Amino acid sequence: MTSENKSKKAPYTIPIGPTHPALKEPILFTFRINGEVVEEVDFAPGKAHRGIEWMGMRRNPVQIVHLTDRICGICGVSHTFAFARAIEQIVGIDVPDRAHYIRTILAEFERIQSHLLWAGVAAHELGFDTLFNLAWRVREESMDLIELLTGNRVNYAIVQVGGVRRDIEEEKFARIKEGLRYYESLIDKLLKLFLHDKTINMRCRDCGLLTYDAALKLCTVGPTTRASGVRADVRLDSPYAAYGELNFDYVMPDLYTGETRGDVYDRIVVRLLEVAQSVDLIRQCMKQMPEGETLWETKMPKLLAACKKAEGEAVGRVEAPRGECLHYVRMNKSDSPYMWKVKASTYSNQLSWLEMLKGEQIADIPIIVASIDPCMSCTDRVAVVRDGKPDIYSKEYLHRLSVEKTRRLMND
Amino acid sequence: MSLLPTMAEVLRQITKKPATNLFPAKYLPKSITGFLGKVSEGKAEINPPVITPENYRGKITYDRDACIGCKICMRVCPANAIEFIKETKTVRIYVTQCIFCSQCNDACPVQCLHMSSDFMLADEDRYSENLIVE
Amino acid sequence: MIDVILAVVGGTIAVTIIGIIVGLVLLGIDRKFAAHMQARVGPPLRQPFIDVAKLMCKDSIVPENAVVSVFNAAPLIALASAVTLLLYIPIAGFYPLFGGLGDAILVMYILTVPALAMVAGGFASGSPYATVGAQREMVTMIAYEFPLAVAIVAVAWRFSMAGFSDPFSLATMAGVGSGVVVWDIVGPLGIIGCLILLLVLAWVTPAELSRVPCDTPEAETELCGGLVAEYSGRNLALFYLAGGVKTFAMTALGVAIFLPWNISWFIGITGWTALIADVVFFLLKVIVVMFFSVSLIRVSMARFRINHLVSLYWGYIAIAALVGLMMIILDVFMKGGVVL
Ligand code: SF4
Ligand code: SF4
Repeated sequence: MTSENKSKKAPYTIPIGPTHPALKEPILFTFRINGEVVEEVDFAPGKAHRGIEWMGMRRNPVQIVHLTDRICGICGVSHTFAFARAIEQIVGIDVPDRAHYIRTILAEFERIQSHLLWAGVAAHELGFDTLFNLAWRVREESMDLIELLTGNRVNYAIVQVGGVRRDIEEEKFARIKEGLRYYESLIDKLLKLFLHDKTINMRCRDCGLLTYDAALKLCTVGPTTRASGVRADVRLDSPYAAYGELNFDYVMPDLYTGETRGDVYDRIVVRLLEVAQSVDLIRQCMKQMPEGETLWETKMPKLLAACKKAEGEAVGRVEAPRGECLHYVRMNKSDSPYMWKVKASTYSNQLSWLEMLKGEQIADIPIIVASIDPCMSCTDRVAVVRDGKPDIYSKEYLHRLSVEKTRRLMND
Repeated sequence: MSLLPTMAEVLRQITKKPATNLFPAKYLPKSITGFLGKVSEGKAEINPPVITPENYRGKITYDRDACIGCKICMRVCPANAIEFIKETKTVRIYVTQCIFCSQCNDACPVQCLHMSSDFMLADEDRYSENLIVE
Repeated sequence: MIDVILAVVGGTIAVTIIGIIVGLVLLGIDRKFAAHMQARVGPPLRQPFIDVAKLMCKDSIVPENAVVSVFNAAPLIALASAVTLLLYIPIAGFYPLFGGLGDAILVMYILTVPALAMVAGGFASGSPYATVGAQREMVTMIAYEFPLAVAIVAVAWRFSMAGFSDPFSLATMAGVGSGVVVWDIVGPLGIIGCLILLLVLAWVTPAELSRVPCDTPEAETELCGGLVAEYSGRNLALFYLAGGVKTFAMTALGVAIFLPWNISWFIGITGWTALIADVVFFLLKVIVVMFFSVSLIRVSMARFRINHLVSLYWGYIAIAALVGLMMIILDVFMKGGVVL
């Protein structure tokens, strides 16, 4: 090693993570820094791998729906929803209409809750704790409503294969409408406090840029991709549940600012506007909701028997608050799925970090990392440790592995 | 664009009541167990927790006499928290394992399982009497 | 001779204790203010004392590649210099203990010492976070020194123009003995100038104390505490105390220069009642100054990036300070107020 490498002269390396106050979940970033400017970025996910798929492949679908609730601490509906959709396709279950609407309402409440949580976290990353407190305070209303509808604040346990486990009774509509009015009266204030603040403008405008082309090339999803001007939203691109019957459009940043820059600011705009959109969607759902059953089969042994008979594979996609969430399931005439794969939205979004972080300042690292609303626990599906050292797999090797696995699946 | 919209907001807020829910006491007591002990003796007052909704899923309750020992609850329990007792043909539920999904409640053919609104379940012993339902 | 030495030693000890206690109470009040502005209840007022007591009980961990002597000395120097400040600043209308030995210029120099000690400690900890933090702290210091100096010098100069014999003495500025404060000697233009300088001083305070929006050197979410990232236990407690004392010193400085009135001047009381009334009134003024220059500012905005901080202080705030100075100069030339 030459003396040059040893000395502390610029550029030097700063590790951020696996645990760091800027990160809400473990992941390791390595930055090569010159002065205050980031020259090179690398990151190593896989620090929050819990083996959920492995657990799932030893359980039956009715058990798994409660496991999927816990893949993410925030998207308690989205993962279960995507998984249930996959199973429903394999088994050929016709979900009752009312259940579709209830699922939609819950998914939208989840979006409100998740986006407000994100807004608070983003403010905290900027050192703006007042807005963090404010955002989380107003988020409580959506948590209260979710609690009213499902019983608990997190881990809702409401989506079941073939429908939902609880109906929304007529008496609850008044309380829900009260909550919606609360958000409608609040949204202008939120937009003002977040978007018209000079310091937030200084920190977020033209920071963490992701161009339209890069967003497309990297296959980013959700608010991250919409903030860069890509019109993509699973709810509109391939409607599921009740979304096909609702009237709404892509939320793009230029609706509010008149232009699309693809910076952190635009991501705030998209998420805050989506809160307003979700309120509107819930209103529409409540108006159009048909009467009827909420579950395809209320007798659990019958449902389990139907799942056990099924054979085939399917993909369930939903638009989680962070973007597309995808579950692949393969059933093989047995109690538990033969194969279950979860692809969370952060998995698609995380590579955009490399693009966004290059050339930015150290001070902007936390807000840029937070701007895609990363959820590592949802994302981490593998952690390879061999001889105490993590391995790096090349693209070719991974390709070979997947070909082998596909063959194995086909032959079985 | 206004300069610092938050400044007006915080000045307005300072006269208002804080939103914090002061459960169990305004400031952290020296010892929580000591404080709770005092509360039960009636020497201290506790700030009540937020009321749970009617369909809240708290600690599980079990009606042993009604149970027919069909084991359906065990088949659907995602956490494998339910154990079958052969001798009595009843079940035993480990609350530390239970993830409060209430799936067993839905599945039980004779409705002998229910979720209560009891949520203060912290204990030093995983297998304390309070945390095993049978 | 012995008497003098005893008085100095005794006085210094007394000032140290009072400074630390008032400093910690101020931090507690600041946390309460901030909490209520954020719709929280916040920790009890005595929380800073609890924090310090807890830190004092803990081990002080010294990183492997730290320069041990500097690393351990830095917190002590920071606290000592913060306390020294109080010896030169008039408190509650008293003549400062060392008032005859140093003036406003010295205070400005001593103000930099705690920050320099933190920089030295940061570099000595041998962690990349602390190094970045130390670099930022140096830049921050360079940024806010100029407006601060302009504000203090402008007021001193105005006193000299009004014929005061010792214009740079903070005791003179605070009207100790004379009862004459800066607002008494300036004309209308000067009043505007002084108001601007007051605002400048209020804005320099968060930078001086490394609070949001100028907490770039510590920046919890970016640098996990930056300068003090590697500090723990007793050393961290000393830095915390130094922060408290510095908060007291900075607000007392602002009070001494711009709000030095004593309540006893207005409601002719004397003796012990006057003394107590003056002290209470002084503490109230300190709390008010802290509310506007620390608590309110830190809850109403996001943290600056270091380049924002430099352009803000070198640009807007320096210009504001110069405008204030110009106003005061014009005031003198147009013979507003008291001019010799
Ligand atoms: S509530 Fe859920 S986890 Fe608990 S015992 Fe019943 S099925 Fe198992
Ligand atoms: S499902 Fe109900 S009846 Fe059957 S074993 Fe479980 S508790 Fe007993």
